[in-house]
Amino acid sequence: MPRWGMAADLDRCNGCGACVVACHAENNISTVGAGEAARGRAKHWIRVERYWEGDFPDVRVKFRPVLCQHCDNAPCEPVCPTYASHHTEDGLNAQVYNRCIGTRYCANACPYNARFFDFFNPSWDKPLHLQLNPDVSLRMVGVVEKCTFCVQRINAARVQAKAEGRGVRDGEIQPACAQSCPSRALVFGDLDDPESEVSRLSRSPRGSKLLEDTGARPKVTYLARQA
Amino acid sequence: MDRRSFIKLTAVTGASAALASCGNPENQLIRFVPDEDIVPGIAVWKPGVCPLCAAGCGLTVRVMDADAEVVRNGQLGIVRIAAAKKLEGAPNHPVNRGGLCARGQAAIQITYHPDRITQPLKRAGERGDGRYEAISWDDALGEVVSRLDALEAAGTQRALAFLSRGGAGHRAALIEQFLARFGAPPPLVYELFGDEVLRRANAVSFGREQLPTLDLANARFVLSFGADFLGTWNSPVAQSVAYGAMRQGRPGIRGGFVQVESRMSQTGANADEWIPARPGTEGVLALGLAHVIVAAGLRPASAASRAGALIDGWSDGLQGYAPEQVEKITGVAAARVDRLGRQFAEMRPSVAIVAGPPLAHTNGFFTAVAVNALNALVGNIEQPGGVFFTPQLDLAAALKMKTPVAGAPAPPFRLQPEGDEDDPHIGDAQVLFVDGANPVFTAPRLWRIEQALAKAPYIVSFGSFLDETAVRADLILPDHSFLEAWSGAVPESGATVAVASVAPPVMRPLYQTRATPDVLLDIGRRLRRPLNLPWQTFEEMLAAAFAALPSATRDVDAWTDAQGKGMWSGTLPAGLGRAASLPAPPAARPLAYEAPSFDGDAGEYPFHFLPYPSTTFLDGSLAHLPWLQEMPDPLTSAMWSSWVEINPATAERLGIGQGDVVEIASAHGSVRAAAILTPGIAPDMVAMPAGQGHRTFTRYASGRGSNPVEVIAPVTEPATGALAWAATRVRVTRVGPPDGSLILFAGGMREHPEEHR
Repeated sequence: MPRWGMAADLDRCNGCGACVVACHAENNISTVGAGEAARGRAKHWIRVERYWEGDFPDVRVKFRPVLCQHCDNAPCEPVCPTYASHHTEDGLNAQVYNRCIGTRYCANACPYNARFFDFFNPSWDKPLHLQLNPDVSLRMVGVVEKCTFCVQRINAARVQAKAEGRGVRDGEIQPACAQSCPSRALVFGDLDDPESEVSRLSRSPRGSKLLEDTGARPKVTYLARQA
Repeated sequence: MDRRSFIKLTAVTGASAALASCGNPENQLIRFVPDEDIVPGIAVWKPGVCPLCAAGCGLTVRVMDADAEVVRNGQLGIVRIAAAKKLEGAPNHPVNRGGLCARGQAAIQITYHPDRITQPLKRAGERGDGRYEAISWDDALGEVVSRLDALEAAGTQRALAFLSRGGAGHRAALIEQFLARFGAPPPLVYELFGDEVLRRANAVSFGREQLPTLDLANARFVLSFGADFLGTWNSPVAQSVAYGAMRQGRPGIRGGFVQVESRMSQTGANADEWIPARPGTEGVLALGLAHVIVAAGLRPASAASRAGALIDGWSDGLQGYAPEQVEKITGVAAARVDRLGRQFAEMRPSVAIVAGPPLAHTNGFFTAVAVNALNALVGNIEQPGGVFFTPQLDLAAALKMKTPVAGAPAPPFRLQPEGDEDDPHIGDAQVLFVDGANPVFTAPRLWRIEQALAKAPYIVSFGSFLDETAVRADLILPDHSFLEAWSGAVPESGATVAVASVAPPVMRPLYQTRATPDVLLDIGRRLRRPLNLPWQTFEEMLAAAFAALPSATRDVDAWTDAQGKGMWSGTLPAGLGRAASLPAPPAARPLAYEAPSFDGDAGEYPFHFLPYPSTTFLDGSLAHLPWLQEMPDPLTSAMWSSWVEINPATAERLGIGQGDVVEIASAHGSVRAAAILTPGIAPDMVAMPAGQGHRTFTRYASGRGSNPVEVIAPVTEPATGALAWAATRVRVTRVGPPDGSLILFAGGMREHPEEHR
């Protein structure tokens, strides 16, 4: 079984936000509009955080794309009373929407603020709905949704590989964020394959995990900006 | 219960369920037989061309089945269509190499926008009030043709004006041919954040009137003067691809990056060193570095040849630009100037970039020429890691077209009220065609575009949305979306080889729209004296243009090959390239630094005002896409909002807190928006993103935020006549406490109880 993970090279990431919109397009994430966004209800499975350092004129900014870290020891999983939030065999931190009863314990437990509650049924002003991706289920009111590492693409690649009688090749699966990223900051793959690019990057001396001391054992490695 | 009664029971409940479903009107809709062969659930990928900016990135479009509501013979129903689902960057396209920016990702929402214009419209109310009635294509085209025939009968063909978004692709070539054959002036191109100054500077420095292609991937040191090359300028995806490689693509080599600007852009936020210089003095800093390099004997002054000779005092080692002098003018410490100069000469290949605010001052042309000379001094022109110029396909040559105009070409119309008397003003047009431009929103108020348009007797728009300019049209002939029509592009930059992109329609048109190039060809045929353009359709024109190119694949002609790949790239055959180099201009007076002049008295208006292209909306032309409205801005995380960036020290002095409503006033106008306190801006400057403040531009953008263009003074850069959009001074006043219009994604707003917001 593979163990899916990601490496985010912060020396390549320039904060452009292509990943954010690519994720909306791939995963049928509805926009909530200005009023609801003002109440903190906007949903972005991946976001670009920025950290300001120093005062004018000696100012620096560091960007960091943050998405579900698909923790090996995920704090969101044990708190779920219905096993909606659970771990798959290939290491994904999955959310089964039709088990979810909306307690939002998982969203509270997540140290990364990566889980989003649906306060409403999603809606698209017609005909914007024609764009919806039929491979991704819509989330109805009262459930928590989150990054899936584009599980629909993982499954499609696995089915394809099986039909061709081979294993999934490294780089064959690209989540929408990584695929769109112009500067190639995001790399996805199998962490259990020591030859995969994501494994190689995850072993980089520049690498670290986000909020490692929570003990969540996240599977996204951030490669620090040099200099 | 036995099996038989179970089936009976389910039959009854099934029937009652069917009856109950009558309450839901969607379930009553008839399913029509699809027109296309589609296998449900199976995706196919087709090539596309991103239409949002001039970069011309290649797309791979995922197409699958979807259920669309349609009306057939007066009956509303549902039909299965092949619908575009997702745009990806085309992996093999030489410009974007598989990447796609946030705006490109959102482009698909143009096609499915709920406020798209679905059929030809004729004005039914006063101009600007947005009341229109449906008109058939035949009647609409008949109206246009009779207007053009009247011009022709009166011998006033020159009174046809065409206002366009510019670009050098196939569509622009068709428009040029249409106008030339009719006898009208060439199209008027207006872009708020245009690059005229840089193109003109590259023409005099290097003989190439073109934006540069930067080989960042091979550079070891990148010095950018104000260019937002990772966000909004030139070919941002190509430049981001190369940026990633520059940083981490070479084992053991990490390229350095320094940004000079007085308001931190998304690009500047990634710099190793961020250097604010006084606005309009960036050219002096560039020459200061050149002085250091020459004085230290790192490169001889003569290495810059033609590009250097344009600068006053170059051959004497730029005596007036010693680091101490440069410090007085720019505010950058002399020691830093010295160090940067040495770095630039020693960490080669090095490359300097200039664009954006530094060129939007009254001395912008000098600044661009100065940075060009610095590049030439270190010998990086057409060298690895340096500045390249993409070989340009000459479409007129490929199409075997000669502009059939006797004598000098007519000057294009102008938007500025003042200017050369011989150039006609847009308000003097008898018939005005508008394609993609929206100057009512993006031109300074003092240009009085609305009044000029009011004078034009007949305005035709090809727009898909009722924006501020289209709403003044007498007739709207809506274009297909880019996914429904043939599209082509000839990227000006972004690749070191020549590129021409093309894509067949990805899906069938959703509405009664028509491709604008085909409409122009149709009009040309219907005129009393037909224009006799050699193509019946835009597709034929594209085929002719690609047939002239050598095929990249054996056994397949170039046209077939390009359609499959979405592009052609390679070496241009002789005669099909634009002249490799323009002749050197006659020796003019060498350029010397002149202090920039600003509109507004420094006492009454103490702040520099910087409107800048929004990462999400550019100049505002993308504010109608909900994904982009809800995308957090990279530096502020603001969504659905307008804001003013103010240095915290300045804000404290003026009593302004985060989110407070402030008024920005110049001598020409004022706007209000929420304040965002940020350290990434000089204390004597305020900045505001363009894009919001639309009066009419679909349900998502209308009446939202404010437009910084309202404040801009009509100052122009004298060498080019381009708008100097960074040359306005303003005053800043606190109006009141936060009014809730500023919406941030970051900062722990999520899950906060109401009273803490």
